[in-house]
Amino acid sequence: MANYFNTLSLREQLEQLAKCRFMYSSEFADGVDALKGKKMVVIGCGAQGLNQGLNLRDSGLDVAYALRPDAIEQKRQSWKNATENGFTVGTYEELIPTADVVLNLTPDKQHTAVVNAVMPLMKEGACLSYSHGFNIVEEGMKIRDDLTVIMVAPKCPGSEVRAEYVRGFGVPTLIAVHEANDPKGEGLALAKAYAVGTGGHKAGVLMSSFIAEVKSDLMGEQTILCGMLQTGSILCFDKMIEEGIEPGYASKLIQYGWENITEALKYGGVTNMLDRLSNPAKIKAFDLAEELKDIMRPLYNKHQDDIMSGHFSRTMMEDWANDDANLHKWRAETAETNFEKTPAGDVEISEQEYFDNGILMVAMVKAGVELAFETMTAAGIIAESAYYESLHETPLIANTIARKKLYEMNATISDTAEYGCYLYNHACVPLLADFMKGIKSDVIGKGLEVDDNGVDNARLIDVNEALRSHPVEAVGAVLRGHMADMKKIV
Amino acid sequence: MASSIPLASIQLNSATISFDDRFTLSEVDWTIEPDQHWVITGANGSGKSALAATLAGIGDIEAGSIEGLPERVGLVSFEAQAELIAAELKKDDADIMDVVSLGTPVREMIFDYCRDVELAEELVEKFGLAPLLERAFRKLSTGETRKVMLVRALANEPALLILDEPFDGLDVDTLAMLQAHLAAIVDHVPMVLVLNRFDEMPDFITHVAYLDKGRLAPAQGGRKRGDEQRGEKGRLAFTVDRKDEAAFNELYQLLHLKTTDLNVPEADPASRLPALDPGQPLVKLTQATIRYGDTLIVDRLDWTIERGQHWQLSGPNGSGKTCVLSLITGDHPQCYTNDIFVFGFKRGSGESIWQIKQFIGYVSTALQWEYRVSTSCKNVVISGFYDSIGVYTKATDQQKRVADQWLELLGMSARADQPFNKLSYGDQRLLLIARAMVKHPPLLILDEPCLGLDDMNRQLVLALIEKICEGGETTVLYVNHHTEDRIKEIDNHLTLEKHH
Repeated sequence: MANYFNTLSLREQLEQLAKCRFMYSSEFADGVDALKGKKMVVIGCGAQGLNQGLNLRDSGLDVAYALRPDAIEQKRQSWKNATENGFTVGTYEELIPTADVVLNLTPDKQHTAVVNAVMPLMKEGACLSYSHGFNIVEEGMKIRDDLTVIMVAPKCPGSEVRAEYVRGFGVPTLIAVHEANDPKGEGLALAKAYAVGTGGHKAGVLMSSFIAEVKSDLMGEQTILCGMLQTGSILCFDKMIEEGIEPGYASKLIQYGWENITEALKYGGVTNMLDRLSNPAKIKAFDLAEELKDIMRPLYNKHQDDIMSGHFSRTMMEDWANDDANLHKWRAETAETNFEKTPAGDVEISEQEYFDNGILMVAMVKAGVELAFETMTAAGIIAESAYYESLHETPLIANTIARKKLYEMNATISDTAEYGCYLYNHACVPLLADFMKGIKSDVIGKGLEVDDNGVDNARLIDVNEALRSHPVEAVGAVLRGHMADMKKIV
Repeated sequence: MASSIPLASIQLNSATISFDDRFTLSEVDWTIEPDQHWVITGANGSGKSALAATLAGIGDIEAGSIEGLPERVGLVSFEAQAELIAAELKKDDADIMDVVSLGTPVREMIFDYCRDVELAEELVEKFGLAPLLERAFRKLSTGETRKVMLVRALANEPALLILDEPFDGLDVDTLAMLQAHLAAIVDHVPMVLVLNRFDEMPDFITHVAYLDKGRLAPAQGGRKRGDEQRGEKGRLAFTVDRKDEAAFNELYQLLHLKTTDLNVPEADPASRLPALDPGQPLVKLTQATIRYGDTLIVDRLDWTIERGQHWQLSGPNGSGKTCVLSLITGDHPQCYTNDIFVFGFKRGSGESIWQIKQFIGYVSTALQWEYRVSTSCKNVVISGFYDSIGVYTKATDQQKRVADQWLELLGMSARADQPFNKLSYGDQRLLLIARAMVKHPPLLILDEPCLGLDDMNRQLVLALIEKICEGGETTVLYVNHHTEDRIKEIDNHLTLEKHH
């Protein structure tokens, strides 16, 4: 199979990369009509599969689950999940031929095998749905011409997809139609109805393309979202120990620090995150971030270039074929880092203290978000996509570190993200070695030692202006506005 | 019985204790002697649970001091229960790994925790928890969860037992068993009970503490009574020795204030529901069956609810009351595998769950646990128009007016804009009852609505239910354990049996 993206002309590539639009509520007026009376068969009954299925059924749609024969015979957890919730369960052979829509909700790595097994069984003119475009775009899976191929990707864990639906709301959702497989022109109507069925239309739907989703998703997850947080955790922890900070404190400051500082990011972007610092600390963080951006820019460019050229996915698939040798080795190495092995101490750290004593962490998040955004948009990805795959998702990943450190993050994210995260970390740690030599506990661990918080007016104005005028802030303000309109209570 | 009465008394000396920014107990002077057993009482929101939790070391001491708190305290309360459930649900969030988590089994919740394993085993048997040991804790019914909490507290060799509304939500048999067990250990463990109902006060109780707005307060009337003490800053502490009959009866009266002139606010005329076919029953379950794995919860139940036919549903803990209700509300996944007909829809025929819920007003303990969004009290009432948890649509002015009327009725107007999750359990419950009633739904489902309410508010809620029953638009389906909480208009009864 050839990389699909690379088969397109530059003009087509750019056109696909530039797709991403926040949809209006009025575009969902038809509700689930396009799927009414159709048979939806879900493959995979993990958290996404089960919870999406529960929502779709509660929206009046007909949902069943196709599992592998051994999962059924051995009454595995996926079988229990589906049957205890009163769904019809059957083998591929039993259910796929009856399906009008097949929802592939298995992990990326299984896609080729699953789709190869399912496709010959699908009836003429049916629809195949994905929640991630890797299989189509990077692996170049060719889908039968008569089939419609769409993507519906709720941007939250499965349990939240369900919990928000039950509350009467939903989670932000990305939809796309694979234009090479839209023979009847009904892809968009089906994707919209699917998004309504899971409740996504209440929280905001982005209309994107398979290509934009894959290229931006890969870039975001391996750089700022996971890679930067992993590298930052390791470097900041080791520095604090070197500076004589109590290890339990250092561990806690990092484990919960990412979550606390990115919460401010979620509410008001990079600007608000920096505004949480005192003026001298803000200027310090700004300067550190500028320095970090200069050092790391070539690395971000390399990641984006490798993603665009297909080099990244090719090497990763080689590792898949090699029983994940690299992945397992890197995973073991991460478990052995000092940060990972030092439990968070039983010390009280106030929310503000995470900012005051974590100036370098703030600088790393700022540098990572802005670099990822700049690199993506420079590569032709539209600002909306770049925003979601950098700034928007950072707090979600930070939450996983707060739960159980890097182990949890890497166990939680997709295999693709985990692989990319290690790649980034391996390059970034040595890249920042010199920079870290100049770092002291005033920016990580203890907070600035200043007699008063006085700063130069002109300098502060410059810094504030630079923060507020970054393009990620402009698009962020608009998109957060849309979301707030929807989520805002009365 | 391994634990022994602590030798020292527990003393609160002008203690001011805060609970985040939710609540503050002010300058409490209180002494619990080792041979005393106390009941804490007072109106909803007066701080009963907070005072009890203080004895478990919860809360920040802002001023004064607390001395003599034993190290090992057994605490059973709705807050502690909700916290355990929340902790379990948080584990559930770990499913970003795309694995559906199963939760901690009951066996682990009990036996990894309790020091007195023998007693734990005995209580597990007595409370009928044995068949549930392998079930996930969070899959239990409200009453079953409560029993697990009780076993954990009782069998952990506590030096002090704090039981906050221990009898609420228990079926008659379990209640008797628990009361007998408590009576048997009075000589070994001092106990502090929070009770909203005086009629439930066990005989072994020696003292009553009455709280008013975060203080141990005097009952109205002015006559010096009981064990009245003047604190250093002139604040009063009011406690009653049970032997002092006059003071005791006065306190009882205070808690039995009746409400008069009760009017149910009108529904919002603009939020009209689709018309129902008057010839059809509201609900028809045919041979309804619910099972989890091999455990049968509900066995071939036939049940038809006609319009205007009010029902009371009862049965022991674990007999599936809440399950049956959730078949009707559509919250139970097995509603799709049963023959269920509701509001003109055959379930599983392409209707959405919101088309069902629009006809139902619903309140239950589970709903209260699920109502975990930060929103204002007023919005909680308004959310009843949308059947949502939180409000995601702009409410109309008329809907806001109706919500205001409900807040007024509940005496909560001043707190309209306060965050719901900062309220006491009982106040939250009142708001959720208003939420269920606000649209005058064709079917009003009240699953143990009075749990956590004090006597006064219980009277208010029962009176509201009676009015709504009389009103004629709404059919009421009422679940409760307490025989004295019967509603006179309800003349149909369904009792469920336990199958496991």
